[in-house]
Amino acid sequence: MTIELQEVCKVYNHGLANEVTALRAVSLTIAAGSMVCLRGPSGSGKSTLLAIIGCVFPPTSGRAVIGGQQISRLPDHFLGRCRREMIGFIFQRFNVLPQLTVLENITLPLLPLGIAPKHRLQRAMPLLAKLGLEHRRDFPAGQISGGELQRVAIARALINDPPFLLADEPTAHLDTQRSLEFMQIAG
Amino acid sequence: MTGNPLQRHLNLLDYALAGLWRHRLKNGAVLAVFTFVIFLLASFQLLTGALESSAEQLLVFAPHITLQRLLAGRQVPVPEERINELTAMFGVSTVRPRIWGYYFDHVNGANYTVLGLTAEEIAALPVTTLAAGAWPAAGESGQVVVSQAVRQSLGLGERRSFTLFRPDLSQASFQISGQFSSDTNIVTGDLLLMGLADARHLFAMPAAMVTDIAIEVANPVEIENVAEKITARFPDCRVLTRAQIRKTYQVVFGWRSGFGSVCLLAALASFVILASDKASGLSQEEKREIGILKFIGFQTSDILTLRFWESGVVAGLAFGCGLTLAYLHVAFFDGSLFTPILLGWSVLRPELHLTPGLHLPDLLLIFSCSVLPYLAATIIPAWRSAVIRADTVI
Repeated sequence: MTIELQEVCKVYNHGLANEVTALRAVSLTIAAGSMVCLRGPSGSGKSTLLAIIGCVFPPTSGRAVIGGQQISRLPDHFLGRCRREMIGFIFQRFNVLPQLTVLENITLPLLPLGIAPKHRLQRAMPLLAKLGLEHRRDFPAGQISGGELQRVAIARALINDPPFLLADEPTAHLDTQRSLEFMQIAG
Repeated sequence: MTGNPLQRHLNLLDYALAGLWRHRLKNGAVLAVFTFVIFLLASFQLLTGALESSAEQLLVFAPHITLQRLLAGRQVPVPEERINELTAMFGVSTVRPRIWGYYFDHVNGANYTVLGLTAEEIAALPVTTLAAGAWPAAGESGQVVVSQAVRQSLGLGERRSFTLFRPDLSQASFQISGQFSSDTNIVTGDLLLMGLADARHLFAMPAAMVTDIAIEVANPVEIENVAEKITARFPDCRVLTRAQIRKTYQVVFGWRSGFGSVCLLAALASFVILASDKASGLSQEEKREIGILKFIGFQTSDILTLRFWESGVVAGLAFGCGLTLAYLHVAFFDGSLFTPILLGWSVLRPELHLTPGLHLPDLLLIFSCSVLPYLAATIIPAWRSAVIRADTVI
């Protein structure tokens, strides 16, 4: 399972007056088992690159192969399937649903897969234990701390056991101690 | 990784129910209004069915054929002597004269139906129609059977005697011999049943004249044929069969019910437009939620299924509650909201005890007129929400 990008370009609002080129001829290969960090100034296209690798949208041009799947020409429906099966994504602002409990948030990606509640719990319990969230299991996500929220986001990204884990500035809102903890967990 | 498709639906249903509960105020309001609209529609439908059923039960006691004489298109008395000719006709088993008229009580402002029957016909009436007392005895004049409503209208209290004015303003005295059962109120609510001679005396009708003639046919299959023969024999008469009377009841109730239903359908249409509008206006929070769901792997079809379950649960609950309330309204409150519309605004309103029947065609009609439009109205908003792009949350 690798990620291969060849001459990938992404242009927003293509052909319109407000056209923006976010990526220009990006090529990279990420081998299985490796951990890669993308760095760059704000507006340099990091999030756009992550979105392409995360099968959120296809590139405007170039070739993107994620886990053997050529996503450059895939319609939205198939992109969604690739995302569900191969990608775990941790957002900068966590994007956890505050009205759901910690457990419900973590097991959310399993609902459309037809996984029974018992099996969802079986999958979630080891992650809750590993991330130290067992005592918060039935708390509404809106009532837990920022660090705990991030661990919920990590657990949710890992619940499907995806081959690729993507994180968009995951430590931006964390202190040093929490950032180190995140690197340990994600690693 | 993919599990059971049924379990997928159960998971999405579970999530939809939780979502409905989270937005319980908004959904509760939609549910309440929708329940009320279905309650109105179902009440009309069930009430019409119950009234038709009541009328049907009472038609069992109506004669096979009723003969009335017309002059210039208006009903006039028919000579009793025609009975002999009718009795001689092949297929006719019994012929009895009747006086059927209306009496307006100026004092109480009520309109009563007066029915005068022969002693034999009265004796043949089923006793179960009476709640108390007895039918007017043969040979006894001035005896009458009335309903509780008539007693109240006449202000009799515990008294059993009363008088009515004849056309020449002289008085006719009556003694109550019995009281009709409330089960037959749809027909007997405003009825005064008496002997033929007493009715003739009250209306000051000429001797040997009656308002109509009741005819029984030996073989009920032959009713239409006998009616045709009578029509040919007496061209100045109107011949009404039991089937025609039944059809008239159905047309009257059906027309009134249809008119009411059309008015209610307008209310339903307004609700559907409101529901569609409500479903279209997604809040920022809802859009963000859908974006997150799409991002973590929900497909457009999953979101559509979620929305379908939400609408389905609201519609199903509203249908169940509306129908139950309508049943209770008709069964325990005698459809009091709509009875005046269906029975007419008579001065003396019959007291009804109706038993609504739940028939599959009626249920399907109510379902198709309420739940299906609601589901259809929420499809486009559901689609709009389902196609929100996953990248909206980045």
